[in-house]
Amino acid sequence: MNELHLVLHGVAIKKHGSAQAVADITGLKEETVAELLKQALEKGRVAEANSAYMLTPAARMALDGEYSRVYAELRGDASFAAAYDIFEAVNRDLKQVMTNWQTVEIAGKCVANDHADKDYDAAIIDRLGDFHERAEDMLDSLIAALPRISIYKDKLLSALEKAEDGEAEWVSAVKIDSYHTVWFELHEDLLRILGRQREE
Amino acid sequence: MAAQLGKWTIMLDGTSLPERSYIGGKAWSIARMRALGLPVPPAFVVTTDACRAFLEDSELPAGLTDELAHGMAALEVATGRKFGATTQPLLVAVRSGSAISMPGMMDTVLNLGITKAVQTALGEESSDVLFAAATHRRFREMYARIVLRAPPGADGQAIPDAEDIPSDPHDQLAAAVRAVFESWNSRRAKRYRGHHDIPDDMGTAVTIQAMVFGNLGARSGTGVLFSRNPLSGAPTPFGEYLATAQGEDLVSGSVTPLPLDALHTDMPEIHERLIAAAKLLEAENGDVQDIEFTVQQGELFLLQSRAAKRAPEAALRIAVDMAHDETITRDEALRRVNAEQVRALLCPKLRPGAADDAELLARGEAACQGVGAGLVVLDADTAEAEAAKGRDVILVRPTTSPEDVHGMLVARAVVTASGGATSHAAVVSRQLGLPCVVGCGDAILQSLAGSQVTVDGGSGSIFQGILAVDTPDERDDPRLIEFGAWAVDASPLTVFRSGEQPAGDILDLDHAPGGELVENLPELFKNTKAASGRALLSDAGVAAAVQAGLEFIVLPQTVPALLAACAAARENERM
Repeated sequence: MNELHLVLHGVAIKKHGSAQAVADITGLKEETVAELLKQALEKGRVAEANSAYMLTPAARMALDGEYSRVYAELRGDASFAAAYDIFEAVNRDLKQVMTNWQTVEIAGKCVANDHADKDYDAAIIDRLGDFHERAEDMLDSLIAALPRISIYKDKLLSALEKAEDGEAEWVSAVKIDSYHTVWFELHEDLLRILGRQREE
Repeated sequence: MAAQLGKWTIMLDGTSLPERSYIGGKAWSIARMRALGLPVPPAFVVTTDACRAFLEDSELPAGLTDELAHGMAALEVATGRKFGATTQPLLVAVRSGSAISMPGMMDTVLNLGITKAVQTALGEESSDVLFAAATHRRFREMYARIVLRAPPGADGQAIPDAEDIPSDPHDQLAAAVRAVFESWNSRRAKRYRGHHDIPDDMGTAVTIQAMVFGNLGARSGTGVLFSRNPLSGAPTPFGEYLATAQGEDLVSGSVTPLPLDALHTDMPEIHERLIAAAKLLEAENGDVQDIEFTVQQGELFLLQSRAAKRAPEAALRIAVDMAHDETITRDEALRRVNAEQVRALLCPKLRPGAADDAELLARGEAACQGVGAGLVVLDADTAEAEAAKGRDVILVRPTTSPEDVHGMLVARAVVTASGGATSHAAVVSRQLGLPCVVGCGDAILQSLAGSQVTVDGGSGSIFQGILAVDTPDERDDPRLIEFGAWAVDASPLTVFRSGEQPAGDILDLDHAPGGELVENLPELFKNTKAASGRALLSDAGVAAAVQAGLEFIVLPQTVPALLAACAAARENERM
């Protein structure tokens, strides 16, 4: 696989990410990513601000056009497609877990979870752990076809375990690799690989 | 001991109250409620001794199978129903329960004991074949997911393989008990125990409780009762009731429940008993109770009672009221309300009447409350560019994805054309405390572009123009004033309201390099006595100030920070 494509793909997912963040999500070495980003910057494919990168509009279009060729084989892989279908199905459960983490229903009224009820929070984190275990076979099927997906699996487990150990922000905080952040990045990655559109 | 059924099991009839470590938290609550004379569905428990024996030999200890049969026989006598029978069948719920709850333990399996024949019997008894079929389906899904640990199929549900679910209810029960014991050594449970220094040989108990049905005729029903109003905090019971219905109907929202008065009209004696139970449980537990109950053929059963979740207004009122009547101490009252709840009370709101004459441009699903106003932009990059110029922007997108997060971080509110309460936009906005309205329809992308609008995330409305917004003042709420004074007494840190601070050197974090990030605070607080700035609006920011031993901090409103400081001090003590 073309490393430059993978770097630009990483930038698309980690929009406004550093070279390290892109290396982290793609599994490439940070030096490699830094070097390729430098070249891409010179060619006007990416823009940089405060060591964070984003694709230029032209590079973005070019990247979108490359997926069908780069992932031609994967798009024809029935087991990958079947695993992706399960991803979409369980994605609904994950979104429900996240919503129950953030909001609670009190006497029929939906209010923000103020995290005052530790038992409630523990039960949701337990549900997230249960969700993770049920998703593992599906993740392993994706990994069997595309090994770099294991990066996401490791990050999901790491976020889950931090949450279990009492660092609740790892469930859904936005600026860190929380469970929700990583899951959504994986979703974005899969959508790009398969050339699908996000459905809400 | 009268309650002992045998070596491994105990009947939870309230005649004794064994240690939590022996029967687990759930069984303990059941036994305690029975001891208080409250009606709870009959139950027995397999003790942690049996779990330890299982962990040693990897098989159910000798004699347990017989004891399970004795336990079921006792439940049959208590309920007048029969396990696996084709008239008046008895179904049970099987739950794990250890003294300390931990992740990775087996979930509850409901409706255990149902088979094809039992389903038919239940359908006849309830005159509701759909209910009987749903009960059976629910059991199969739960059994497949929880006991067999079957992976999800393409519809996201665990696929039950017919031959893997035993046809004999007693075999179902033994398998479920075994699954509970095995879950003690699940990866998650083991890791959690390791991290929290919980002994590996503590073991879990298994509670087996008769299911009761709220849909067996007109004198049946189900509902919830709060011992005080969980929305306002008013000291009057508040509840909902649904005649001839099961708990799932209430939870799923498929049917609209009636106020509790409906129960009072139907069965006044049951209503009276329920209210008395709520009072008793509130007094015993020293907190507002949320009680799930079912009436089965004219007989009341309490399914669960726990400290009620409550809206921020209610949390404050209940804590103050209970401290006044000395149910709890002031210190305890301070624990019952957290900084986040007070922040929610002080969250900016549309000025009353401000929206009356405003043009309503769009309406959607309210995903995160709060009010935000500014210029509509249609992509995250523009949002960032405009915000960098100091403009207030409202990000309007078809939907959002990780690519939009950088724009959401700088926006005053987020609006999407499609998606619901669980969408990415909703989840991220709530995380950021950002007003958010979702699912407004595709037309908004064109109709709102370039306008100045006000987004009310609480009502899901988008108004033309910049409307007046009020930020509630903590000094206007008598309850908050009194509560705040208690917090002042307990807080390890002095908090001055902006403008009331003494003269002297105060570190302004908003203008200190890196001062917006909590992780930089310990370094910035070195050789500092006092500080102000937005980083102190979070619990973590205040905790850093407490940790650094600051003399005081300065903020626009004091109570949230005082509560965060009290919580940080408690946390330090615990460590």
